[in-house]
Amino acid sequence: MTSSIEKPGAALAEQLLKQSEADAAITPMDAVRDAARAGEFTNDQCFRLLARLWTLKRMMYYVYGGWAQGINLNEYPPAVAYLFGKQIHDDSTHEMQLCDEMLRRRWAPTQKTLFAHPYTQFGTATRTGSYIFCLRALANYPHNIRIAAHNLGPKAIELAWTEKLAKLFPDETIHALFQSQLAETRSHVMMGKFQVEQFVSKPVDIELAKRLGAETRRDYLFFLEETARFVLGMAEEKAGEVTVQADID
Amino acid sequence: MPTLKIDHAKCTECRMCYVVCREIEINAVVVAPTSQHFFEIDERCTYPGCTVCLMYCPAAGSIVETETGRSVVPPPPEVWTENRRWPRLP
Repeated sequence: MTSSIEKPGAALAEQLLKQSEADAAITPMDAVRDAARAGEFTNDQCFRLLARLWTLKRMMYYVYGGWAQGINLNEYPPAVAYLFGKQIHDDSTHEMQLCDEMLRRRWAPTQKTLFAHPYTQFGTATRTGSYIFCLRALANYPHNIRIAAHNLGPKAIELAWTEKLAKLFPDETIHALFQSQLAETRSHVMMGKFQVEQFVSKPVDIELAKRLGAETRRDYLFFLEETARFVLGMAEEKAGEVTVQADID
Repeated sequence: MPTLKIDHAKCTECRMCYVVCREIEINAVVVAPTSQHFFEIDERCTYPGCTVCLMYCPAAGSIVETETGRSVVPPPPEVWTENRRWPRLP
């Protein structure tokens, strides 16, 4: 029998997962899935979808690079570093798959031209940028906190919409692509749960994890909204836009 | 029909073949859309015109000729020639 002493972060993990599941119940990606199912999805929209998802996955190298600098020797058991390495490898595989598919469909002739395509550009003053910088800023926190905020937040939401898309997306290849990513994304959520249960125990850490989890979930949902609007050709949402002074470093 | 294939019993999934194939813009090495995410070589492969992946592959026997099943890692002498190391531009 497992006691709460052995799993000090169990309640937090459960709470974070519940919040993410609630956020994942309806996301902007549902509109993308519905449009695809209704047969209203053009080739260009399909390109837009893969391009935006690829852009995000590419930027994860930048995020994980920052995080990796903050894993201190012997701070956690070797399993934690291993799980983090696996997560980097898996997200890199997903990035490669998205790139493969766009090249295979000849939406760009080469990877270099794909990097230069307007659909795949990373803009700093966008919601994708906001989400990425939010994740990168987690490098300032211990690894257990950022795994709590990311793997039990946006990763759980990603798992939910990927499951729906994988089940119902009519294009066979893209259906297979999303389907093949499910096992790894699910594993990231489970890895996050394991790490939070074991290693988030101090009251200050619990509070930080809750607060940062809420921020990353919010920013990820903004990213999804921006992506869905771009894919479906809807006007950009301006309400609630945050403006930043140019002289802030 | 691809002229090369990957022997997954020997491949270490180091991704060097993927990286170099992307770099020279042939894009024949792809991640299979299965849950194992194995690397595969598709019909865009121009072997024996290009042999660049063979030069970088560190795992002996992990890339083989599709028709003959012959291992080409490390590259046999006849593919290790100056005019086959890189796709030649016309």
